[in-house]
Amino acid sequence: MTHTPLDVVLMIIAIGAYVVSALALLVYFFSRDEWLRHLGIPLAIAGCVAQFAQLIARFEITGVWPLLNLYGSLSLFAAVAVLIFIIFAFRYDLWFAGGFVLGLSALFLAYATTWYEGTMPAVPSLQSYWAKIHVPLVVSSYAAFMVSFVISVIFLIKYYFERSLAKEAILATAGGAALAQAPNAAASVRMDTPNIAAAAAAGNAGAQWLNTIPSLAQLDVLIYRIIAVGLPLLTLGIITGAMWAHESWGHYWQWDPKETAALFSWIVYAIYMHLHTRNAWRGMRTAWVSVIGFLSIMFCYFGVNLWISGLHSYKM
Amino acid sequence: MQAVREFYDDFIRTFGNVLFAVLLFIVWGLLTLVGVVIAQGKDPSTYFDSYAAPLARLILRLDFNNIYHTPYYVGIIGLILLSLAVCTFKRVIPARLPPLRAVAIDKIPLHASFDVAGDPETIRERIAAFFRSRGWNVRKREFGGVEWTFADKHNWARRGVLVAHAGFVIIAAGTTIYWAKGFSGDEAIITGQTVSVPHTQTSIKLDGFSYKITPIITKSGMVYQPVDYVSRVTATGSDGIARTAIIRVNHPLNVDGVLYYQSSYGFAMRFRVTHDGVRVPALTNRDYLTGDAIDLPGTQRSVAVAQFVPTVDRLNGQPSADPRINNPAVFLQIFDNGQASGAGLVPMKSSIDVGGGWRIVPEQYLLVSGIQYTHDPGVALVGIGAFVLLAGLMISFYLLPARVFVRIDRAPGGSRIGLAATTVKGYDIFERQFNDLAAALGTKLIGVTK
Repeated sequence: MTHTPLDVVLMIIAIGAYVVSALALLVYFFSRDEWLRHLGIPLAIAGCVAQFAQLIARFEITGVWPLLNLYGSLSLFAAVAVLIFIIFAFRYDLWFAGGFVLGLSALFLAYATTWYEGTMPAVPSLQSYWAKIHVPLVVSSYAAFMVSFVISVIFLIKYYFERSLAKEAILATAGGAALAQAPNAAASVRMDTPNIAAAAAAGNAGAQWLNTIPSLAQLDVLIYRIIAVGLPLLTLGIITGAMWAHESWGHYWQWDPKETAALFSWIVYAIYMHLHTRNAWRGMRTAWVSVIGFLSIMFCYFGVNLWISGLHSYKM
Repeated sequence: MQAVREFYDDFIRTFGNVLFAVLLFIVWGLLTLVGVVIAQGKDPSTYFDSYAAPLARLILRLDFNNIYHTPYYVGIIGLILLSLAVCTFKRVIPARLPPLRAVAIDKIPLHASFDVAGDPETIRERIAAFFRSRGWNVRKREFGGVEWTFADKHNWARRGVLVAHAGFVIIAAGTTIYWAKGFSGDEAIITGQTVSVPHTQTSIKLDGFSYKITPIITKSGMVYQPVDYVSRVTATGSDGIARTAIIRVNHPLNVDGVLYYQSSYGFAMRFRVTHDGVRVPALTNRDYLTGDAIDLPGTQRSVAVAQFVPTVDRLNGQPSADPRINNPAVFLQIFDNGQASGAGLVPMKSSIDVGGGWRIVPEQYLLVSGIQYTHDPGVALVGIGAFVLLAGLMISFYLLPARVFVRIDRAPGGSRIGLAATTVKGYDIFERQFNDLAAALGTKLIGVTK
């Protein structure tokens, strides 16, 4: 009789907890039944704990630092994303977004299992203490950006819903003749959502649940706060990566595809931070930059690892 | 003179504009992305193999195959540094100490007002004490006969952007020092060979090289995982003293400030070359690296050492994927007048007839260690700059410089307090703290919030 290794058991527990928690919080997002929130929160915490325990167990069992392949790094990515979300959710009551964050985490975790290759010793360049510093920093920054991405998408949904309601309101009051002017009028929508509030009062279901989530201004501040966690982590990750590269390859910067893709992501979030200093650009535009930023992170994480060969091509 | 002044003003206005900086960032990002997607530094034929011919030509014409070293890529970084410098002097430094001035309280989105009992002088002291007890820096001024109290928090953190910009400049300086004074290169050293390293007074002798590869069965099949590469060397530096040392991946050797890295490995070959059964010493007593050719004297023929094969499958005679040495052979290619005329996989100690009475026998293989060397006098500065940049980001992100304006006017039965707040990051980010602050102040003064 063969025993299932502890790390595999913990991984199954984590995925199961995330899936059930995601479903509960997703239904909570629409129904606002409190019991679903009370079900989702402990399951999210349990899944996160199980994941960190899984990483520790895997390190204990194999003796190899567990973050040196996609299986391990994706596992940490999902765990940190959930951890960051839980911290922010408790502080800013973000549970309405839990279904999306946990759903994405469960998806990434399930994808991680497809890269499970058993126990492999590390290649010489990865046998460094820097692996224990650089990889967690970079992966944690990716995780923070995933949470900011989810909030950005919710921001944009609310923003465009308000804009479409504003257009409808203009058409209803001024008739078809106002059609040509509607886009300009709708463009004036920035942080206030009076049309969503009015539609919610009139019984519009979509408006009612959008009306219960934080205002656009609050969502914008949340996105900023989460990116303010991710960007220093990414910066520190790039710095420690450069220090490791200097020790391993002789140059702190080699213009390797992974390095340059990370630089590209850093530039996107630097653009976000610069635009966020301007009142006129804060809100919808910065939310789009946040979405583009996360897409660039995904390209850096998966695209470069899987499709572009370079010094960071450690697929397994 | 007027034209110069106008040009200067336009230049400062443009380069001091945050949106212009963002535009430069976008261009920098897109050029960087081009370099990620298009393989860099490859042979031109690679691009014609990978892309349609017009696109490949465009890539080569625009230098997209070496984009990070093109004048326009370096130029865009230069423009960013220029924009950063102008922004720093025109926007960041003046903003670090904003002047104390009277404001229209009601026009600021974060505002509140109270009516409290007590004369303005007493209330002013109590308000100042309130803010001081919470760590705010309090200053008082009079404008137009009205007394104002200004409370600042984390005012010093307004320098965060300045620190981040300084970090960038330091990194740029460190990189420039490497371009000006640094050097790097690599040497393939055959076991037993001594090489003099260019730019230095150092010689390195490779006493021995070994590697360890572990075969592992995964669900994708057999994987030969490299685990260790070790070069045992004798290094003689500028002091003339020979020292033995070991170079491993992640463990470079430092000789006179130049770092030596384990970067690759390979094999060299020794052949016995005979013509009509007679040994040819000039071709025999040599080490051949992969890519080297044996030019046969008196003919237009040459034999290229195409590849060393560590393991030949004993069953089918074909090269195995196993990189460990077990039944080695060498793949030779024969050229006549520069045209390939034959090839063969030749096991060690076997011979191959290359025509005209010439025979070649692979007699011995030797391990070769690829050693990379670097001297970068700017690296410390780059490291310092990176951490200064990080410190600037942390200060900018995690500390919120805020100013509370307090105006106290005499009112019937007491005083009227007007309270407003501004921050460097807008109003929404401070709304909750401001409301808490106003509520606490209202409670403290036992007033009524309007």
